[in-house]
Amino acid sequence: MSRWLTQLRFVFRSVFRREAVDQDLDEELQDHLQREIDEGLKAGLAPREARYAALRAMGAIAKSKEESRDMRRVNFIDDFVWDLRYASRSLRRSPGFAALAVMIMALGIGANTAVFSVVRAVLLKPLAYRDPDRIVALTGTVSEARKGLYRQVSAVDFQDWHDQSSSFDAMAYYVSRETSVLSGPSAEYARVGAVSPEFFRVFAIEPLVGRFFTVEETKPGSSGAVMISYAYWQSHFGGDSRVLGQAIRMFGRTMPVAGVLPPGFQFPDKTDLWMPAFPRPGETRGGLNYLAAARLRANVSVERAQAEMSSIAQRLEREYPLTNKGRGVAVTGMRDQMVGDVRAPLYLLFGAVSVVLLISCANTATLLLGKATARTREVAVRVALGASRRRIGRQLITESLLLAFPAGVAGLLIAYWGSEALVALAPANLPRLGETSIDMWVLAFTLGISLATSLLFGIVPALYASKVDMNDALKQAGSRSVTGGGLARMRGALVVAEIALAVTLLGGAGLLIKSYVALNTVALGFHPEHALVMRATVPSLTPEDAGQFFSGVLPQIAALPGVSAAGAAMSPPGELSSGSYGAYFVDHMPDQPDIISGPAAMKNVVAPGTFAALGIPLKSGRDFSDADTRGKAFVAVVNEALVRESFRDENPIGRRIFCPFDSSDGMTIIGVVGDVRQGGPDRDPRPECYMTYRQHAFNGNTLSVVVRTAGDPAALTETLRRLARETSPAVPMKFTTMETVLADNLAAPRFRTLLFGLFAGLAVSLATAGVYGVMAFAVGQRSSEIGLRMALGATTGSVLRLIIRQGFVCASLGLALGLAAAVASTRLLTSMLFQVQPNDPWVYLAVAVLLGVVTLAACYVPARRASKIDPLAALRQE
Amino acid sequence: MSKPTDLVQGTLDLLILKIVALEPMHGWAIAQRIRQMSSEVLQVGQSALYPALHKLEQQGWIEAEWKISETNRRAKYYSLTRAGRRALAEESANWERLSGAISAIVRTG
Repeated sequence: MSRWLTQLRFVFRSVFRREAVDQDLDEELQDHLQREIDEGLKAGLAPREARYAALRAMGAIAKSKEESRDMRRVNFIDDFVWDLRYASRSLRRSPGFAALAVMIMALGIGANTAVFSVVRAVLLKPLAYRDPDRIVALTGTVSEARKGLYRQVSAVDFQDWHDQSSSFDAMAYYVSRETSVLSGPSAEYARVGAVSPEFFRVFAIEPLVGRFFTVEETKPGSSGAVMISYAYWQSHFGGDSRVLGQAIRMFGRTMPVAGVLPPGFQFPDKTDLWMPAFPRPGETRGGLNYLAAARLRANVSVERAQAEMSSIAQRLEREYPLTNKGRGVAVTGMRDQMVGDVRAPLYLLFGAVSVVLLISCANTATLLLGKATARTREVAVRVALGASRRRIGRQLITESLLLAFPAGVAGLLIAYWGSEALVALAPANLPRLGETSIDMWVLAFTLGISLATSLLFGIVPALYASKVDMNDALKQAGSRSVTGGGLARMRGALVVAEIALAVTLLGGAGLLIKSYVALNTVALGFHPEHALVMRATVPSLTPEDAGQFFSGVLPQIAALPGVSAAGAAMSPPGELSSGSYGAYFVDHMPDQPDIISGPAAMKNVVAPGTFAALGIPLKSGRDFSDADTRGKAFVAVVNEALVRESFRDENPIGRRIFCPFDSSDGMTIIGVVGDVRQGGPDRDPRPECYMTYRQHAFNGNTLSVVVRTAGDPAALTETLRRLARETSPAVPMKFTTMETVLADNLAAPRFRTLLFGLFAGLAVSLATAGVYGVMAFAVGQRSSEIGLRMALGATTGSVLRLIIRQGFVCASLGLALGLAAAVASTRLLTSMLFQVQPNDPWVYLAVAVLLGVVTLAACYVPARRASKIDPLAALRQE
Repeated sequence: MSKPTDLVQGTLDLLILKIVALEPMHGWAIAQRIRQMSSEVLQVGQSALYPALHKLEQQGWIEAEWKISETNRRAKYYSLTRAGRRALAEESANWERLSGAISAIVRTG
């Protein structure tokens, strides 16, 4: 360490106190000489002879000085300083060129930095908990036969995991949902987590105020207690420490506030309130209702924990084959678990934007090469005067470094706004998106790519300069008629690369756009237009209250002017999160239900009139009516997918169906409705079993009222709010429209399509500019040749063809390479495409046509200029 | 007669370190001492000596100080640093090993 410091001190001294150092050296050598002379005198030589002898003995003093300087690494730094001065002078001489190059690079660097800032926040940054690497998610895994039921675990299985494992310091299960919370004058929605006792120990946090739940408070039958988030404390209690013991009412219970959690902790999913998860009586291994997390013991690896958990899961499989067959458990880092779904799309965008950067580099390299041509003579003269080729190459690279610096700064500015725009555009459910910022890592990244790109685009002209043939270049003095063949080829190759890269991106963008169009035009099975959605939760545990609220409100809403139909659904289309998916049985309920390999359906609770309000067609039978109440025989409506799955050609009306939900009683099928894409436009319809809220009130306390209107649905919001308040002030409401829900479903594909399209557009513009630049330059270089041709009788048309042919060769080579690369790489997009194959020929054809037209247009302008050359003027220039 | 430039790479460094280890010395004296100690076999010219001295100083193995010499002139005295002492031990051991190995081969037959 200290040695490095010493060396650094020397280098600094050598560079900044050069005179002093040189003087030292002079004096030292002078002393040496004097001693040699003294020796000579002692030996009896005359002073003059002694001096000559000494000088002879010492040899070339200048050379030794130079070498000593080299030893001090002075020359290296000296040269760099000179190169910098020289480069800045040469850039100042062509400010237009410098500005263009800086702008192109700034675009590439800025776009990359912006995307990186999001990648860093979402994918790379460690979680903001203590020892984030030790926090893992325990997710249930299932064999293929039961896909759909995944991630969640049952409280019973969890208890076995907890008791039989030794890899963890703490292990907890949790579930969180938005529900009606009363902590002030009126009820409102808040996200509430129900958590098992060790939950807070998993994250190693301590309450900021108050305490955690006592053992008593976590037992079933106790009154319970609530922890609140710092944000909720601030917004609802003004940060007052007298919050402890205040009553909060939710899920039909009143619980006191036990403590406040530290700022920033809102796991999972922006939760504001936490209460103990009271195991329900009769909870089974099939009740997959929870997620689980754990804290690894120090020095226990994820692999070891996984091995232990797998052996526990295998034991459970053997002991309880009916419920646990084919079920395992996966131990994954919590961060990986949180961002698992978004990793591939984000890295893909990152890849796309780095292709844009590559194109920027190629573009800047062609610009620099253009300049290098103009400087061929300068280089040749310097070589002739004894400059080494390496020195000249280094000088050119210094010049590109000098360009990279302002480009990096400008890129950072672009990234500053760009990352804000990205955050605004990105789907709101992208985890950790809010943490996006330009931090030290992002700055380091910008610095890194600025340097790397400057080397990348600087190396081409530097290579070229090292190949300049001094004799040729000097002989050419004054003549511009012959272009260096190597140079033209190099520029041509760069343009081909630019086009190829742009085509690859454009191919991907084309596929995503086509897929997005398909998503917007696919038959949904319902009509999202003119449909207002009001989500309401009746804070009551008695089924009657809930039923009363909705049955009181719905007829009033249906009678409003401008309303054509009104209904209510537990999980309206597009809101899969509120849905329930599980096994169903036809005709009779087996004693040992095979819930593993048997058919499964979405279970939905609706009010009469819901199908009409959503525009779901009734295919046969009837809708529910107000007469289907709890006292009457249970009835159900199924969709066509369920009929296809279980009834084939038979008539399902009148048959019995069992959907174990809040009740396993059999229901008579009274109607069949059309299929709906329940999980959003990109998911295929699943079998669905509808029940009526009057018979299944247990799951009917939170419903989304759906209102079909004649005009703008949002205009009805206030009327509905007033109606609901009049019916019950304790019911919180949330309004949206069916079209908004749909737009949210499409947020992720819209985001990636938009960005991919943007990057592809940028790539094509840059490539086109590259083609134009190269062609314009070529025309300039060949102007006297063209003049000569025209003087010899070439027509305007033949000159046009001559130039365009050159561009055409570049364009078609680039197109061919790019299409090949696109076919090879767009397979990565497969999972993000909807009803489009990654090798869709029409998309590639469109890409080819678009790029062909654009590049030919870029060639045409310079070609046209070439055909206007006045032969006399061109030849006179010689 | 062997000139230092013909010496095995790094040998001059070893000689300088060895000489300077005895006492702080200026460049000319170092050259003299090498000549004397090698019984006039090794002659180091300033063109090799000073770059080597500056390199060793740059590496932090020797340090320099201007002093008034016995002739009443200012002279730059070089002395060994702690890092230099370690380097000397290492280089000497290396040299012993290498020269021993070479001798062993040369002497056979």
